[in-house]
Amino acid sequence: MPLAIGAAIYGLAFGLLAAQARFSVIQVGVMGASVFAGGSQIVVAQQMVAGAGAVAAVAAGLALNLRLMLVTASIRDVYAGRPWWQVALGAHLTADENWALMLAQSARGRNVGYWYLLGGGACLVVVWCIATVAGVAFARAIPEPKSLGMDFAFTAAFIAIARSLWTGRRDLAPWLVAVAAVAASIHLAGFAPSWALMVGGVAGAATAGMLHHD
Amino acid sequence: MTETWFVILALTVGTFAIRLSGIFVGQMIPQQGPLASGLRAVPGCLIISLVAVSLLSGGPNEWGAGLVALVVTMASGIAAIWLLRHFG
Repeated sequence: MPLAIGAAIYGLAFGLLAAQARFSVIQVGVMGASVFAGGSQIVVAQQMVAGAGAVAAVAAGLALNLRLMLVTASIRDVYAGRPWWQVALGAHLTADENWALMLAQSARGRNVGYWYLLGGGACLVVVWCIATVAGVAFARAIPEPKSLGMDFAFTAAFIAIARSLWTGRRDLAPWLVAVAAVAASIHLAGFAPSWALMVGGVAGAATAGMLHHD
Repeated sequence: MTETWFVILALTVGTFAIRLSGIFVGQMIPQQGPLASGLRAVPGCLIISLVAVSLLSGGPNEWGAGLVALVVTMASGIAAIWLLRHFG
């Protein structure tokens, strides 16, 4: 339940931001069910508002989702020996929340598996779609979002997400390198913001890889 | 409108491919070591880069908004910890 409430608040926020990117209610609903990865959806919407272009927006969103490969790889035994449609459905419905919940339950010795993962994912996708659609419908009812300071909302949302992604002091060096790389790309190299973003992400990840505190 | 549908389709196909590839080439992806550490760090570095981009390419308005957001998120975090300690 707490996870569903978290997803609902996050979804509402995404809906509000998606309205800024001129997404329709139908597009937000379809996107929630078909992509089902909140962080990447917010990043893509922001990139489109910033005028980065479709290709740069998708590249940034997919880069954010690369870690899902580690998530599904870590529980690949769960999908082993199942028919292809169950593998496809289970893979699609694997999100950070139900994955973490399943690992926590099995760490406590409970016998949880594929259907536990799927049930959690199904709940999340329903909550996610309802919340995002409600958010975009609400935002579209506001005549001029900019006058309410909505254009700062993306920055605020990213700061909130960054705080939730912070795992401790080992993140400090990669994050500082990322910020420095972004600043250098924009001010010294004169890169477009969407490219500066990629440079920052890669430089930070490379730093984390070289330091690798495992 | 069409551009938005293209973005949604591309993100859908790409994300699904990432999730499936974890299952099928999972043995080849190390769960530890430099590559795994790097991959795990990608979301945080990307998000903090986004914050940096919007603060650097914006003016004093964005800096002010960023500061307010930081104070609010920190205050909410401190409040949550306090509530958990006293009532949790």
